[in-house]
Amino acid sequence: MTPRTTDLPAAAIGRAPGALPRRVLTALAAVSILGAAGCAGAEAETPTVESPAAESPTAESPAAESQAASTPAETPAAAGAGDAAPDQSYEDGTYTETGTYQSPAGREEVGVTLTLEADVVTAVEVEPMPSNPTTETYQGRFAGGISDTIVGRKLDELSVDKVAGSSLTSGGFNEATDKIKSEARL
Amino acid sequence: MADSFGFDAIGTRWRVDTSAPLARGERDGLLRLAEEYDALYSRFREDSGITALAVSGGFLALPGHGAALGRLLRTLHDLTGGGVSPLVGERLAAQGYDAEYSFVPTQEPAPARAWDGLLEWTADGVTLARPALLDVGAAGKGQLVDLMLAHLVAGGHEDAIVDASGDMRRTGAGSITVALEHPYDPTSAIGTVRLGSGALCASASNRRVWGDGLHHVLDGRTGRCVDTVVATWVLARDAMTADGLCTALFVADPADLAPVFDFDYVLMYSDGRARTSAALPGALFP
Repeated sequence: MTPRTTDLPAAAIGRAPGALPRRVLTALAAVSILGAAGCAGAEAETPTVESPAAESPTAESPAAESQAASTPAETPAAAGAGDAAPDQSYEDGTYTETGTYQSPAGREEVGVTLTLEADVVTAVEVEPMPSNPTTETYQGRFAGGISDTIVGRKLDELSVDKVAGSSLTSGGFNEATDKIKSEARL
Repeated sequence: MADSFGFDAIGTRWRVDTSAPLARGERDGLLRLAEEYDALYSRFREDSGITALAVSGGFLALPGHGAALGRLLRTLHDLTGGGVSPLVGERLAAQGYDAEYSFVPTQEPAPARAWDGLLEWTADGVTLARPALLDVGAAGKGQLVDLMLAHLVAGGHEDAIVDASGDMRRTGAGSITVALEHPYDPTSAIGTVRLGSGALCASASNRRVWGDGLHHVLDGRTGRCVDTVVATWVLARDAMTADGLCTALFVADPADLAPVFDFDYVLMYSDGRARTSAALPGALFP
C-alpha cells in the first residue's frame, strides 16, 4: 500500500479506536477533493479494512512532519491543547501530502495541500509533480489538445447556465455517509 | 426557461427545465419513467429485476429501450477489451459499494466474469446462465435522461433540458454554456463548453469514494479502481452514449472509441492536466 493523500486526515483524527470507521471517515473527509488523486487501486495488494500497512503511514512519515505547515499531523485532536471545539472531529490546520498512484506509464505523484477549519475544507491546492516522459508520450499519443495543468476559475466568477461535474453526490450515498459520520465521530 | 421541475430519482437529483409550462400529467410521466427504470435496473432494491437476476439468474424481460442499452454496453465492452462490462456489478459490491452501502471490501479485486457464456443480451431482455449481479451504471442514467427528454418532446416541448446532476440533454434553438467542474475543487471550473441540441455527460472517479483507492469506477479487466484519468466529459447526440463514453474513457483511449462513436470529450488526469478533442465546442481555462 503506497502512502496516500487521504491518510492525512486519519492522522488528524488521531484516536479513533476502530480501524473501519476511521478509514471510512478519512475517505469521506476528502471525498470530493482527494479521493481520485489518492486512488491506489491499481497498486493496492490487499484493500481490506484490517490491513495494518494501510493504517496511518503519514503519522510517522517524514514528509508529513515537514510539510504539515501549521499543525503537526501526528498530534491527535483529542490529545491536543484544547483549541478545537469539543465536537470537532479534525484538528484545524493546513496539511500537505503527496499521493502516488500507478499509471499505465508508471508511478506518478501529485501534491495536495488543504486547509481544515472546524471540520470544513476551506482551501485546496493541487500541485502536479513533474511527470515522467513516458507518461507524456502516453497522453500525447493522439490528436487533440493537451493542456498544461488546469488551475481552474472560480464558478462564481463565471457566467454559465449549468455545471457538469461530480460534486452532486447521490442521495443514497449522502444518507449513508451521514450515518457513518455519526458512527465514527470522536 | 419558463418552468422548472426538480425531483430525486435513481439516487440522484434531477432538474427539468422547459420554456413551455410543464403540465401535472407530464411531471407524473417523468416520475413514472424513473420509477420504472429503477424497478428494472437498481442494484440497491430488493425487488428490482436486476436483483432477481442476481439471486437466481434466468431471464429478465426488458422494454424496447433495453435492447439499445444492451447494444451500447456490448459495443463498449468489445472496444475496451472488457474494461466496460455490466458484470462489474458484483465486483463493485464486493469492494463495498453494495446495496447496504457497507463500504467494506469483502474480496480481493478480481476481473469481472466473462460476458460470453454467462450473459446474453437480446432484443427482448437479458438472460443469465448463472446468477450474477449486473450494473448498468455505465450508461443507465444517461438513457433515463434520454427517455425523459423524449417524453417531453412527444408532449410537444421544443425547448427543454433534462439534467441529472450533470448528465444532461437539451433540445432547442441556440446553446447554453456549461461549466466543467474541477474534480479537485467543486467551487472551480476547468473550462466551459457550449451545449446546443444534444447531450453532455460528466463522470469523475471522486464522485463516490469510500476507502483507500476504492471508488465506483472499476476496470472490468482487473476489478481494480481506475487511476490516471480522474474526470471525463463527453458531448454526444444522446445522453446514453455520452454517459457510456464517459465511463469508457476511464479505461480506453479516445482514439479507440472514435471509429465507432461521434463525440467530443474532455479528459482530466490525476496530475492536473487535461486533454480535449480537437473540435470541442468550448475551451479550457489557461
